[in-house]
Amino acid sequence: MNPNHYNSSTADRTDTEHLNLGEVCRFLTEYAACLLACGATCTRITRNVGRMADIAGVEADIIILPSHMSITLSDPRDGRTFHYTSSLANVPVSFNINTQLSKLSWKVAERRVNFAEARQLFERIKEAPRINQWTLALLVSVANASFCRLFGGDPMAMAIVAVATMAGYSLKLLLLSRHVDIKLIVIACAFLSALISCVGYVTGCTSTPDIAVGTSVLYLIPGIPYINSVSDLLSSHYLSGYSRLAHALVLTGCIALGMTVAVMLMHIQVIP
Amino acid sequence: MNVLLGILQDGLFAAIAGVGFAAISNPPRVAYKYCALLAAIGHIGRYCLMTFAGFSLVFASLAGAFLVGLLAVFIAPRVKCPPEVFSYPALLPMIPGLYAYRTLQAFMLALSANGEEEFGHYFYLIEFNGLTCLFVVLGMVVGQLIPIMMFKRVAYTSTRD
Repeated sequence: MNPNHYNSSTADRTDTEHLNLGEVCRFLTEYAACLLACGATCTRITRNVGRMADIAGVEADIIILPSHMSITLSDPRDGRTFHYTSSLANVPVSFNINTQLSKLSWKVAERRVNFAEARQLFERIKEAPRINQWTLALLVSVANASFCRLFGGDPMAMAIVAVATMAGYSLKLLLLSRHVDIKLIVIACAFLSALISCVGYVTGCTSTPDIAVGTSVLYLIPGIPYINSVSDLLSSHYLSGYSRLAHALVLTGCIALGMTVAVMLMHIQVIP
Repeated sequence: MNVLLGILQDGLFAAIAGVGFAAISNPPRVAYKYCALLAAIGHIGRYCLMTFAGFSLVFASLAGAFLVGLLAVFIAPRVKCPPEVFSYPALLPMIPGLYAYRTLQAFMLALSANGEEEFGHYFYLIEFNGLTCLFVVLGMVVGQLIPIMMFKRVAYTSTRD
């Protein structure tokens, strides 16, 4: 694809006649698919795409499916329509990409960049570096230990949760690098973290072993999909809302499964 | 003095949890401090409402999340980020994880219960913990979404330079 098929001349930026609308449609669809993958709500996706379509002088109708994005552009001047469907971009949830792509939509809408430049910026934003994975593992471990404290865990329980989280998150990084299915990853990580956190029961080193076990897997909870699903449901994007909710519920079920096996293996009974 | 210390501790640990969970969703670097701030304010708000005003966990979570959402909407245009970038991670320390865990435990025990009375006891625990967990999560999510929906124009133009 040649991005210069867009309106690449600075002098022509206000002239939408020369835009290659097929390429614009493809760009907008891939842009929207990337936004969906990186955790944007449906309202944000439709607004961002809509403001860029406006500047191209076309109307955009968007179909948001669980794994695909489909956009039809219609040109009111001559009645032509353009259609493109894209699979979801292979990017993990990233609010940095979400923010940069939202800024990009404003740059296009205010004619500060044309569609050719927007395409190049889009590709660059997708490749933006992420936080170092081991730093992330450390941050998540400390966060989960703090979470344990918020539930009333003692310092020893916090230490157990930090170690259990570090081990579980390290396993997650390892399995992600080997492209293992996310559901299997969550089951394995929940199992490992819960198993390690049972040390409080086994050795009696903490007075709050139940809180340690209960908190050890919470770093796996798919919080963003849960919140996005309710946001989509409230804004009447039911299909996306339900699919995000189903995805989050499946992952929560995987956490429960991994944890249950670990707790049963260790013969732990929290409720008397 | 002890009460104040309790409040500050609550805020501190919520802020640390907020930053750590925010890191998973890879926010812009500038957003981290606001995630910490909002997580602390939200959690302290909930703690104070429950401790001093006698709010139940569900309504205190709703109010705490509303406060987080409101602050996020007004911080967002200053930092040029969508409000979700701060408000979602700031909510995560409020997740009622222990209730979820106890629901799961009670479920396992109910399946292996001997007799109606024992089953009834575990089933009550499933209902109590499960419903609390469900409504706390719903309260949290709806509470922080209300300000975004109330101030749509601000929320959806916050990334404009």
